[in-house]
Amino acid sequence: MNIRFHPFKKNRKEHEGLSRRMFLMTTTMAGVTTSAMLGGASIASAASINEAQGTMLLRMVQDIYPHPGLLELSHYEAIVATIGKNADENPESADDLKAGLAKIDEQSQALYGKPYAELEDADAREGVLRHFQHEGFFQGVRWTAYFGIYDNKDIWPLFGYQGSSVEHGGYIDRGFSDITFVPEGPTLEERMAEVQG
Amino acid sequence: MKSAWLKFRDKGTKMAQFELNDDSVVVIIGSGAGGGTLANELAQKGVKSVVLEAGKRFDIGDIENDEWAMFSKISWLDKRYSGGGWHGSVNHPTLPAWIVKGYGGSTNHWAGVALRFKDFEFKTRTNYGAIDGANVEDWPIDLDEMTPWYEKAELKMGVTGKTTGMPHLPWNNGFRVLAEGCRRTGRTDYNSGPMAINSVERDDRPQCQQIGFCMQGCAIGAKWSTMYTELPRAEETGLCEIRTDAMVLKVEHDEDGKASGVLYADKDGNQHLQKARIVCVAGNSIESPRLLLNSASSMFPDGLANSSGQVGKNYMNHTTGGVYAALPEKVHMFRGTSVAGIVGDEVYHDPARGFSGGYYLEFLSLGLPFMAAFLEPGNTGWGRSVAGALENYDKMSGVWVLGEDLAQERNAITLHDSEVDQYGLPAPIVSKTPHNNDYEMTAHMYETSAQIYEAVGATDVYELPAYPATHNMGTNRMHADADKGVVNAYGQAHDIDNLFVSDGSQFTSSAACNPTLTIVALAIRQAEYIAQEMNAQNI
Repeated sequence: MNIRFHPFKKNRKEHEGLSRRMFLMTTTMAGVTTSAMLGGASIASAASINEAQGTMLLRMVQDIYPHPGLLELSHYEAIVATIGKNADENPESADDLKAGLAKIDEQSQALYGKPYAELEDADAREGVLRHFQHEGFFQGVRWTAYFGIYDNKDIWPLFGYQGSSVEHGGYIDRGFSDITFVPEGPTLEERMAEVQG
Repeated sequence: MKSAWLKFRDKGTKMAQFELNDDSVVVIIGSGAGGGTLANELAQKGVKSVVLEAGKRFDIGDIENDEWAMFSKISWLDKRYSGGGWHGSVNHPTLPAWIVKGYGGSTNHWAGVALRFKDFEFKTRTNYGAIDGANVEDWPIDLDEMTPWYEKAELKMGVTGKTTGMPHLPWNNGFRVLAEGCRRTGRTDYNSGPMAINSVERDDRPQCQQIGFCMQGCAIGAKWSTMYTELPRAEETGLCEIRTDAMVLKVEHDEDGKASGVLYADKDGNQHLQKARIVCVAGNSIESPRLLLNSASSMFPDGLANSSGQVGKNYMNHTTGGVYAALPEKVHMFRGTSVAGIVGDEVYHDPARGFSGGYYLEFLSLGLPFMAAFLEPGNTGWGRSVAGALENYDKMSGVWVLGEDLAQERNAITLHDSEVDQYGLPAPIVSKTPHNNDYEMTAHMYETSAQIYEAVGATDVYELPAYPATHNMGTNRMHADADKGVVNAYGQAHDIDNLFVSDGSQFTSSAACNPTLTIVALAIRQAEYIAQEMNAQNI
């Protein structure tokens, strides 16, 4: 269910320290986003999704791929708008989606006594969503979020990804071998000598 | 950057056209590494052929530096099912393999790694012995026999190294990190080749510009692909006709049990029967056995060339996984060739390691879209751990690990009993269940990779399960004994003299290395044999 981390043998302490710091940072940030980022956002532009469902979806896409501090709320709003547009174009999947959102809230109410979008703890919210991760409606939201973030050329620079290079003549003169924390590779002369021996 | 070879392609030579009832032609099914090479080799020897390619006629202008755009454009996405115990039967249920449907086949997608088999890898039964649950056998050929053919393949494809005298490629950031980890852990066999990518201008193709996106098709033609080498050169002879959008449905035979032609569907679904003197099957290790099985007749009720019962069995696709490390500083691994270096220190057989055979580590960059899709494939690959790891994207270096996959009879291509594809043919089910050998080897691969990256200060190391397979092998295997294999040492069917297998499905073992160089070497050798047997009127 979780990404597989290789169990480190050496420097274990340091590694755990780092992981814990990251964990604390993300939970804290997630807490902030719940109240601050959702405030006043209106994404009820799609006919088949009401405002409450839109708010819930906005929380959901941030929990599916949380990048607090990296992405703006507007990036997530654009994904919710795409989900809404898809729902308008496909009434059947819209019904599935709405029924699915209702089930998520039902689950959240049963476990925590409040709706999913009002849960402050990011772990709790992710846990609620995990119950539904094999369902079509959930994967529909998940893959829309995936394409809206990781296949989005406007967002790539935020992750340090530069994408297509052929129109710029490749990376041969644009840093394909520019790092300084490890030694350089062999020179052309060394590479020539190697194959002509 | 437009170079001489583009002009070559645009010469506008009139392609040969053969009549459907011309029974003097060799019909080649598939235009990739096996079929494309065979077509050109035969054409250069004056042998006429018709190549039937199931996919579209792509050209270099179709190639984009965009992972998903190219995936949608060139992948084989016809109905297929994943089966067996590997994670893909759950996580990639309809995409067991990642191969290409189109002019040039999977030579558009391959990354260019051009390694030879090791001597021991041709003789796995002799060297590994009988292994419980596996069906390991020796090839009827060995490295001595293959060496001159490997040299011809390396010259044809332009492989960096001693055969061509072309230097290996310059080292990119991602590989430099891996190489330094190798150095610090006492390894010695790591380099940026052999690759079938021009490090200098050669054979009317330009020098690599470190564009990246090698597996989306090389946008300038620096990487060898039959799309802009073998296929146009075969067509230029006037002796080879290549029909695209031509999906072969059945190989026909005459009353003597000789192959007599092939039935295919064109892009409008109209069916045609192309007669043939010889039929060569090169549709990759899923379609080739599927075609032979779908060609069953009253004379051959179990499928063509299947008296051994081995057609479709022994499906191998390498024991693989991925490892990505987050480093303390920026790496920008996507800059430059996708597979920028190879580590060969683990390619040896030592049963004391707990498994048979060896494995390579090959540096492999993924763009952000594919990294986000494959870091944790399937329904569960979302949430804070995945998103957090992806924030390290620009600090990552990683490897694709690939090792010898043992033949097992249960790993097989079978026909679905009710689902059919768009041509009405039973859809293939591709079953793969790892052997204990695979689990042992995979654990070793992950540990080795992690040690290397820890030595350069990795802060996290992520282990990725196998991708949908690009290396598909073994499903019409070679064997000296007609009871244990489908084809002989030349890829000629034991049961039918004028039926050949010309792709990776003839592999008896998978070896640890990428299969393309061996497929090309075998195709060159097979062309020589076919021409000789035709001249002698033996076929």
